[in-house]
Amino acid sequence: MKRRDFIKSSLTAVAATVTVQTIVGRAWGGSALKVGVMIPLSGPAGLFGPASKNVSQMAADDINAAGGILGRQVELVFADAGLPPAEAAQTALRLWRGDGCEAFIGMHDSAVRGALINVFKGQVPYIYCPNYEGGECARGVYYVGETPAQSVVPSIKWLTEENKLKKFYLIGNDYNWPRDTNAIAKNTIAELGGEVVGEEYMPFTVDNFDSSLAKIKETGADLVIITLVGGASVSFNRAFASFGLSDRVLRFGTLIDENTLAGIGAENSKNIYSAAGYFANVQTDDAKAFAQQYVAKFGSDAPVLNALSQSCYDGLIALDVIAEKAGEMSVASMENAAEGMEYDGPRGHATMKNKHLAMDIYLANAVGAEFKIVKSFRNMEPGNFCKA
Amino acid sequence: MEVLATFTLNFVYSSATLALIVLGLALVFGLLGVMNMAHGEFVMLGAYSAYVVQSFSANFLWAVPISIIVCALVGWLMEWAIIRHLYRRPFDTLLATWGVAILIRKGIEAIFTRDYKSINQIMPETVEILGITYPSYRLLLIAIIISLFVVLFTWYQKSKTGLRIRAMVRNPELASAIGIDTARLSSATFIIGVSSAGLAGVLLSPLVRVEPYIGLDYLLSSFFILIVGGLGSLEGLLIGSAVIGGSDALISTIFDKTAGYMSVLLISILFLWLRPDGIFSRR
Repeated sequence: MKRRDFIKSSLTAVAATVTVQTIVGRAWGGSALKVGVMIPLSGPAGLFGPASKNVSQMAADDINAAGGILGRQVELVFADAGLPPAEAAQTALRLWRGDGCEAFIGMHDSAVRGALINVFKGQVPYIYCPNYEGGECARGVYYVGETPAQSVVPSIKWLTEENKLKKFYLIGNDYNWPRDTNAIAKNTIAELGGEVVGEEYMPFTVDNFDSSLAKIKETGADLVIITLVGGASVSFNRAFASFGLSDRVLRFGTLIDENTLAGIGAENSKNIYSAAGYFANVQTDDAKAFAQQYVAKFGSDAPVLNALSQSCYDGLIALDVIAEKAGEMSVASMENAAEGMEYDGPRGHATMKNKHLAMDIYLANAVGAEFKIVKSFRNMEPGNFCKA
Repeated sequence: MEVLATFTLNFVYSSATLALIVLGLALVFGLLGVMNMAHGEFVMLGAYSAYVVQSFSANFLWAVPISIIVCALVGWLMEWAIIRHLYRRPFDTLLATWGVAILIRKGIEAIFTRDYKSINQIMPETVEILGITYPSYRLLLIAIIISLFVVLFTWYQKSKTGLRIRAMVRNPELASAIGIDTARLSSATFIIGVSSAGLAGVLLSPLVRVEPYIGLDYLLSSFFILIVGGLGSLEGLLIGSAVIGGSDALISTIFDKTAGYMSVLLISILFLWLRPDGIFSRR
């Protein structure tokens, strides 16, 4: 393209954008509502970026087709949350103060969430989407993901009763999510009269789990509760099966998603269980319709859905519902509106209680490289972390 | 007794696989003075060769020649286009090869996405050995690696090409003066180095996770081994692998994995500080 042509076409584009914005602005009675979407586009969780982006866009399109949020069309501004917390916080600050984002959706780890809460200080609504360790009640933050009280506790109880489990081994990466999740798991195990025969936390750099596998075998554990993340979970589970442990020992984790399972491989997946509010294979009408819409929009080769990427959809819907109930996009009004708000989404019916969602949870068993739902826990309470 | 048997086999397995991974890096650095930051990416290319073979439902063994061809081609191109112009400029090669590493990673990501790939084992069963149950494929791998090193060691000591390489390393000017084509020999050494990494990738692929970023892990562990073992000798390489693999396995068994990993870092720091040339120093 020649320079003059380029300038000409750029100017036309700018003019067109301005016109469209004016028309849209008039038609909808206000400028577009910019929503910052913080998802991992790089780093170890970058794997979940493409699907999260697709799902967020799908939610925004659905919301806009139904008239937008508070009559304003939603415009998503994507940013990378796969960076170290301090850098992600800087990015969010730029989106908020610089680009004029009026609300945030976050699908990222707990460390980044902590940093963002410090930046926002309750002045801008922030929906945190993925499952997390629970325990928070920050101002202006609404949590749509599963807590251990919803997913870990009922799953361990069910697995223990069904399989007469006695000995439990806990293994995770060394940070707050695994440690806090396991603290809750240990209470449940104690209630059930079980015994914790091992508890280990691994640095993120570890990819050789031989010594842990020897200990798991030696202690005679019946169930291994896995809070290893991503690649570490893949390496661990592959080695676990290669030692022939998978026939006798059950494995359970709340972050073993469809991608991780594909990496573990069909031949290594025997007796793996996972719990979440969504699996790509959930057979309810709502979930099937969601999956069909996703394929229709992004094609059958689109990045595979899992509970993490799907949670972005619930995040945006929750933002819409809370804002509509509050009547304005301000934390002061939304704080009151959030309590008791309800909606029906791909996960089924959800009700917000103490800033978290009461919802259905599914326990799935790996069959080859796919999850099959073996048990549904209806309308699970998230736990109350807002007590003074 | 069982604990001891498990420990011994795990120790031999991790030392052997580490030695196989680091072999190419040590070869290229020790003989050519090139620190190939893209070494891990060649391991990754090997693993993806196995994945491609599997997706065509072909026999796993096809991955061996395919990975060697792929890595040799990429390695040849890399040596011809970049490395050749940077011999004896270690810092420049470091930067250039790091750039190539990023390029290879992103290229694989563009073709195969970031999704994890799973490669099936050709021998998924376990066997009873020394009173414990152990994965058969690991035992096979140990046997293959040991034979490979014996062959390589003999070849380097006995063959004419081995002699030429040794001559080139000792004194490049003199070697070229007596008619040894050092440019061709350097290129060949580089290609053999990266191809061995590709082979390591194929052999390990059924046991490890496979995604575009695995190369970094292998590069890191390779560095620790080179620090301990020193550069330019097969003995040093084997001892380095045993020290790093062994201390990690031992400390992890007695305490936990965090302590095991810390011991690896401590040993590396101590070596850098007190014996910067490693156990077997050539210089």
